[in-house]
Amino acid sequence: MSREKEFKILEQIKSQINKNALSPAIKVVILMLVVTGIVYPLVLVVIGQSTLPYQSNGSLITINGKVIGSKLIAQDFKSPKFFHPRPSSASASNVDPDITSENALLQISNVSQATGINQNALRTLVELNIERNRVSNMVAFAPDYVNVLEINLELLNQYPDVYSTFLNNADPQKTTAGITGLGGGES
Amino acid sequence: MKSELCGCVLPLPKEQDGVNLMNPIVELIVVFGGTLSLSVPFGLYIARMISYELRPLEAPLARVENGFYKIIGIDKDKQMTWKEYSLALMLTNVIVAGFIFFMLVFQNLLPSSTHVNGLSIDLAFHTAISFVTNTDLQHYAGDQQLSVISQMIPLTFVMFVAPASGIAAAFAFIRGFIRKNFGLGNFYVDFIRIILTLLLPLAFGSALLLMLLGVPQTLQSSVTINHTLEGHNQTITTGPVASLESIKDLGSNGGGYYGANSGHPFENPNGLSNTYEMFLMLIIPLSFPIAYAKLVGKARGVSLLLTILIAFGILLAIAFSQVSGPTGLETRFGSFGTEFFNTVSISTNTGSANSALSGMSPNPVMSFLLGMFIQSVPGADGTGIMYMIIYVIITLFLVGLMVGKTPEFMNMKINPKNVKLAVFVFLMHPALILIPTVIAFTTGNAQSVLSVPAGKMTTASGYTQALYEYTSASANNGSDYLGTSANTPFWNWSTAIVMFLGRYAPIVLMLAIAGSFTVKDRKEAIEPIRTHGPLFISILLVMTFLLTALTFFPFIVIGPFSM
Repeated sequence: MSREKEFKILEQIKSQINKNALSPAIKVVILMLVVTGIVYPLVLVVIGQSTLPYQSNGSLITINGKVIGSKLIAQDFKSPKFFHPRPSSASASNVDPDITSENALLQISNVSQATGINQNALRTLVELNIERNRVSNMVAFAPDYVNVLEINLELLNQYPDVYSTFLNNADPQKTTAGITGLGGGES
Repeated sequence: MKSELCGCVLPLPKEQDGVNLMNPIVELIVVFGGTLSLSVPFGLYIARMISYELRPLEAPLARVENGFYKIIGIDKDKQMTWKEYSLALMLTNVIVAGFIFFMLVFQNLLPSSTHVNGLSIDLAFHTAISFVTNTDLQHYAGDQQLSVISQMIPLTFVMFVAPASGIAAAFAFIRGFIRKNFGLGNFYVDFIRIILTLLLPLAFGSALLLMLLGVPQTLQSSVTINHTLEGHNQTITTGPVASLESIKDLGSNGGGYYGANSGHPFENPNGLSNTYEMFLMLIIPLSFPIAYAKLVGKARGVSLLLTILIAFGILLAIAFSQVSGPTGLETRFGSFGTEFFNTVSISTNTGSANSALSGMSPNPVMSFLLGMFIQSVPGADGTGIMYMIIYVIITLFLVGLMVGKTPEFMNMKINPKNVKLAVFVFLMHPALILIPTVIAFTTGNAQSVLSVPAGKMTTASGYTQALYEYTSASANNGSDYLGTSANTPFWNWSTAIVMFLGRYAPIVLMLAIAGSFTVKDRKEAIEPIRTHGPLFISILLVMTFLLTALTFFPFIVIGPFSM
């Protein structure tokens, strides 16, 4: 066999390999793209929206039908009447919704001063929140913490007179809080 | 419930010392107990996938798979040599990378994506390589720079492709040691079976559980709130997070939906999700030694598992020796939950930290670096066990030199060529880390991303950040300090090259080793050096740490040691 012939045969084999190798690779990519990139997430969206709408949409809390925030995402609190979250730059996510129990207990005197609410009453609320978080973490799987939005909503709920300006903010028509989504979706 | 009427002083949550010590112990027991007990059925199942034995629900599964083979046009019984197997793996991965690249560059042209821009060429290239190599190093913030379609179609999809490729490589690698003259299997068959009958069902169930715990799953890209309690505006990014999150952890991927990754409350809402995600990251890497035990002998597999667990215990002990935070950490995890999660995440080469790495103390950082240097305690899905077997081969060779016997593995001689390939796999890692680190510093690119003032020396922590970036890239880990600040052409291109070589060169070399073992004659004699039992476990452990420490010691000393 001459050199040229050998070369030609080699070329033929090469192109054969490429053709045969490329076709299943492209097909398997397209097929898996449909299964894992489209069907899989969409089926989960459908299941989530129909069976777990609260969590699937971001654990949103509403007052009188208006969304005021997510239980899981910190929001700004400047007023001395509220408990304050950590400065956003101090956490990993910048939206850490929680503060340590020590931090919450330290804030009690300020909130009490600004609102006139008894310190012991505030401490009870803090401890109830800690207890609720303990339960939702089966005690052992997280340290004690306080969810800032939840405890502020609890204040709003129990002392509508003190917080009437903020309630009107959410809905000028109504004066009592009809909060939904609070503590929802806990396992 | 107007408790202001109550004048009594309520007790503070006391007995914290006792609680603080008990909870971590319970969590450690639950994570390891749960993972190890489930790794047995999973490992036995994986063994059946490797050896093509009957699986549970074989008939319906086979029917679906056969349909897929037919569409793709492959003969499922056709066996591949190590070269064909590597070629099929590379081809598939390159096509996927190309697809991701185009999807990301042109993401703004897709429906309901006008709020985002297409990624730059270098960032899109970096991201495509990063995800397809199972690294998931992110020089972008997903919640700000990607559309729902980009997160869902190309990125969730590639999070199946990358681990499936790694697991398939491990299947072929293990077959090399158990089958004589029968090829290493068929890549496409393995790839399809791994996605359809291992990753997809687990990811699906886990996504449901994560949704229950608070992870969103919607097509809505954001929720706009006009009135927070104090009347501010707030925009909250949502999307199909749960479907990405579950495969992100299960597949040792680690690319977060949000820039903050597992630290973001929507990816990891509470202590239970934190614990479950640790289980997800550990389950497949810890199932492989069980599969290995089933296929090549119980004692060998159990010895490998024990070696991995002891080494992993050492990494955890180093991390726990120093408290981290609270700056840069999330309150709901605390120091323990953060260090535990991050050590699991980084030593499985998932790389999805639940805190800012800058919030971690030097000892945990050293533990992370060690985990990435070793790559196999327990390592990523598939490749972790492959690297562990490479350590076994190198150890056998070195011990063989000491006692003056030809090293043998599973009654087959390890010839010089195999030893050379194994050593090459081992040495590639330090080369891919140290050379680019040096280049980054000599060209000034490291200093500029670390914002070191002109004429000033880089600090130890600055140096650690640059070293960490290439370590993470080469180990296909994906955790990093630099994040979006490394979105410069130099860092994008250089880490992309490192990730590519760090992924495919070792896989191809390891498949070459498996290919040469599959044609070897097997003796029935007793191995000169036993590859099981307490003595072997100790030698393997010492060798693994010693080789790694010797290679990287100078760089750890001027890095985290001096922080």
